[in-house]
Amino acid sequence: MAKDKMLETTELCVKTALAKGAQEAGARGYRVRDIEVKWRDGKLEKIQEATTRGVGLQLYVDGRYASVSSSDLRPDALETFIADSVVMTRTLAKDPFRTLPDPALYKGQAAVDLKLDDPKYAVVTPDDRLRLVKEMEAAARDVKGAEAILSVTTTFNDSLSETFRVHSNGFSGSRRDTAFWVGAEVNVKDPDGRKPEDYSYAGSRFWAEIPAAAEQGRIAASRALSRLGSKKGDSAVLSMAIDNRAAGRMIGFLMGPLSGASLQQKRSFYEGKTGSTVGSPLLTITDDPLIPKGFGSRLFDGEGIAAKSMPVFDAGVLKSFYIDTYYGKKLKMAPTTGGASNLVIKLGAKSQPGILADMKDGILVTGFLGGNSNGTTGDFSLGVQGFRIRGGKIAEPISEMNISGNHLEFWKKLSAVGNDPYPYSTIRVPTLVFEGVQFAGN
Amino acid sequence: MPDNPGMTRRRLVGLGAATLATASLSDILMSQAQAATTGAIEGIGYFARFGVTDQMIRQALSAALSKGGDRADVFFQHRINHYLVLEDGSVNRAFTNVELGVGVRVVRGDQTGYGFTEDLTAAALKQAALTAAAIADGPAREGPKELRLDRGLPSRYPVKVRWEDVRPNQKLPLLTGLNEKTFAGSPLIKKVNVSFSDQSGAILIADSSGRIVEDFQPMTSISLSCVAEKDGKRESNGYNVAARADMSYYSPERLDRMVREAVSRTTILFDAVVPPAGEMPVVLGAGASGILLHEAIGHGMEADFNRKGISIFSDKIGKSVAKPFVNIVDEGEKPAARGSINVDDEGNAVGTTHLVKDGILTTYLHDSISAKHYGVGPTGNGRRESYQYAPIPRMRATYMLPGPHKKDEIIASVKKGIFCTNFTNGQVQIGAGDFTFYVKNGYMIEDGKLTRPIKDVNIIGNGPKILEKIDMVADDLVIDEGGWTCGKDGQMCPVSQGIPTVRVASITVGGRGAKA
Repeated sequence: MAKDKMLETTELCVKTALAKGAQEAGARGYRVRDIEVKWRDGKLEKIQEATTRGVGLQLYVDGRYASVSSSDLRPDALETFIADSVVMTRTLAKDPFRTLPDPALYKGQAAVDLKLDDPKYAVVTPDDRLRLVKEMEAAARDVKGAEAILSVTTTFNDSLSETFRVHSNGFSGSRRDTAFWVGAEVNVKDPDGRKPEDYSYAGSRFWAEIPAAAEQGRIAASRALSRLGSKKGDSAVLSMAIDNRAAGRMIGFLMGPLSGASLQQKRSFYEGKTGSTVGSPLLTITDDPLIPKGFGSRLFDGEGIAAKSMPVFDAGVLKSFYIDTYYGKKLKMAPTTGGASNLVIKLGAKSQPGILADMKDGILVTGFLGGNSNGTTGDFSLGVQGFRIRGGKIAEPISEMNISGNHLEFWKKLSAVGNDPYPYSTIRVPTLVFEGVQFAGN
Repeated sequence: MPDNPGMTRRRLVGLGAATLATASLSDILMSQAQAATTGAIEGIGYFARFGVTDQMIRQALSAALSKGGDRADVFFQHRINHYLVLEDGSVNRAFTNVELGVGVRVVRGDQTGYGFTEDLTAAALKQAALTAAAIADGPAREGPKELRLDRGLPSRYPVKVRWEDVRPNQKLPLLTGLNEKTFAGSPLIKKVNVSFSDQSGAILIADSSGRIVEDFQPMTSISLSCVAEKDGKRESNGYNVAARADMSYYSPERLDRMVREAVSRTTILFDAVVPPAGEMPVVLGAGASGILLHEAIGHGMEADFNRKGISIFSDKIGKSVAKPFVNIVDEGEKPAARGSINVDDEGNAVGTTHLVKDGILTTYLHDSISAKHYGVGPTGNGRRESYQYAPIPRMRATYMLPGPHKKDEIIASVKKGIFCTNFTNGQVQIGAGDFTFYVKNGYMIEDGKLTRPIKDVNIIGNGPKILEKIDMVADDLVIDEGGWTCGKDGQMCPVSQGIPTVRVASITVGGRGAKA
């Protein structure tokens, strides 16, 4: 088989960087084909189709470092770009901690087929895409109460992504993955003048496994209709359940403080807590890069380091930080990996209805709105919407409320974990329940 | 696709926010940017160096209309982004990103076809045009016979020295100077990070009417952040500035202000108390509090949501939405402002649009699709992140005009509430109208006086309801100098915002303390 042209370009980038004066260099080339079809209220809204490509380089020049990228791949332009970049790098301060990863860390890639690449990617036709977006709208408009629907927008998206990574100290890797996504967004008319909206998206690595499009239309419409009549509740300290689609946001807030950069820059509330209890015994999270067909799966990370499973929290105890080569050297810690792959949460035994029945009274959060989290102190404050839970059952919808807390206390109040991991994200989180959460409202 | 996709979420983030942490930029491409413009022809001055010709553009526009679209445009972009980063006392990393590409759009009614390519050859451009053409299915329309350069563009961000001509070693002292002064600002400071960015390059828009416009859009920003330590506790905060300007923007006064603000905003956090939870009066300080307008009304007035009938403001034009002394505008004319543009990304003129005039909802923010839908002229709000995206209605600089009250009188009027001065981000639901913004710094107001500092609290309200509750507006309008970036439909756009001191009679504060 002929060598891929983008791989050739990527290799040439490394070679050119060395020829122009870099002692070490890494390069990443990519090519992404992406097609999107958007349908709204009975007609096409937008079609977009393109192949984008570019290269990025990490340059190590005379003890100095720069990272550069370009989409201008004309050979002369690229050569000039790299030569200029090397010259520019020499103007920076020396940084003894900058090197390519230890080549020993490239070794030991898992001998598994991650099944990220659908060989049948190209069989999808424009008619297929149209059929799916129409199916979603029809399903949305077929739910009970659909007369309140103002607008339905549905989307189909498919992509083929090819990347190549080459390092001057002996790494060469490539990756090819495909993804197919269907999604629906529905706005409904509330008699009070509000026009609440909700959505549902689902995706797969393989065309043959694309989740039922009609189901996304139904979920989006049902969820939007369930917002009708929502009201702000009273300020109170209550139990909080977070549904599996929303809960990823809470876990995402922990990723920054778990990074080597935050740790070294004194911006992590987890500093000095390795081996300490920072959550309830129910908090067990593993970073698992080797899940077949996973959206965050990989054989090597962004630095070429062979990917392996890593415990992050085990029964409430903090086990690992995300340490890349650079901050590992600064911190005198062994590199793990610079960024999360798939986050897998240890599941409980019950479904969401069972969990809500146990919770009896509180609020089920189905979505967050804005807010932020302070990675240095752990304080957070977030807008929420969802439902009041009364007698273990979903009661009236609530909106325009807010929760606040501190992660170092909050995760110790995790009191139940569902059996329903959200499959369409790199964060596979189930329904979670926390005790004693401060809600602000009226 | 992101974990939280979809058009229901609009985000506004400050430059200091984590979203920019991974962006890559720096200093380079001198040779290309300064390459001789041999073969330059009328109107295609800058892009001629990449082999772009008048004929190529006309052929692409013809291909774009080959299936009967109403109109078409091409958007060429060359953007060079440079970042320099100081950490642990030295400027030890640089990032550069060069974007070169062209997008082709075909519009039929409200429908859009879009294709783009990084390959600036006639064949690739034609292929992108044919891709976009597929939105239509009728007989071909003729493309333009000739292209005319629009020479009427204003000059809102002239620069004496272009960023292409500034060497890294001219920029380095800015970063090291800020680092030294920040450490000198307080013995509590333990870490300082400075990131500097500049942006240069050009855009060229040509459309099927034969119009060509070309604009050079410089941008620069510095973000200064620090970590302080006191009695075993840590706090972090910072300050950032941004403008369409050159090096002269970084005056000693501005740099001193950055240091002063970053240090005081960080060290005051050690004294901050947890604000109460629940509804209370909130006074918003002049300047960055314009985030209220961006979220509470700005997005809801973007006409794409309104032509679809899904904005909470869709049926409110001509109606009273606020007190008569409330006037809200969105404009792109402020000299050197981050949100200013000489021309929008569809080639349309950019002026001042009144969202609210004397309390009455007046004008939506239009792109050319919505303007046609409503039978009105475009407002110059058609913007895009890059050649990889079709334009959509976006804000530029959104602010409230001065009102009849005084700041002191507003604060004195509040028995128990909070005063907000500094924000990190906000978000809105277009249809439900609920919006939030995150307060990083502020004060309690007790018996009409600013008392204890507060921190890290989200505020949540409903757009139309909160507009009605703005019951005092001061005369001290400030346009914030911060580097705000707005996200919509996955596209990031630079914006500005401002506001005088205002009072919101009642809004929900997401604190943890007991309500008075």
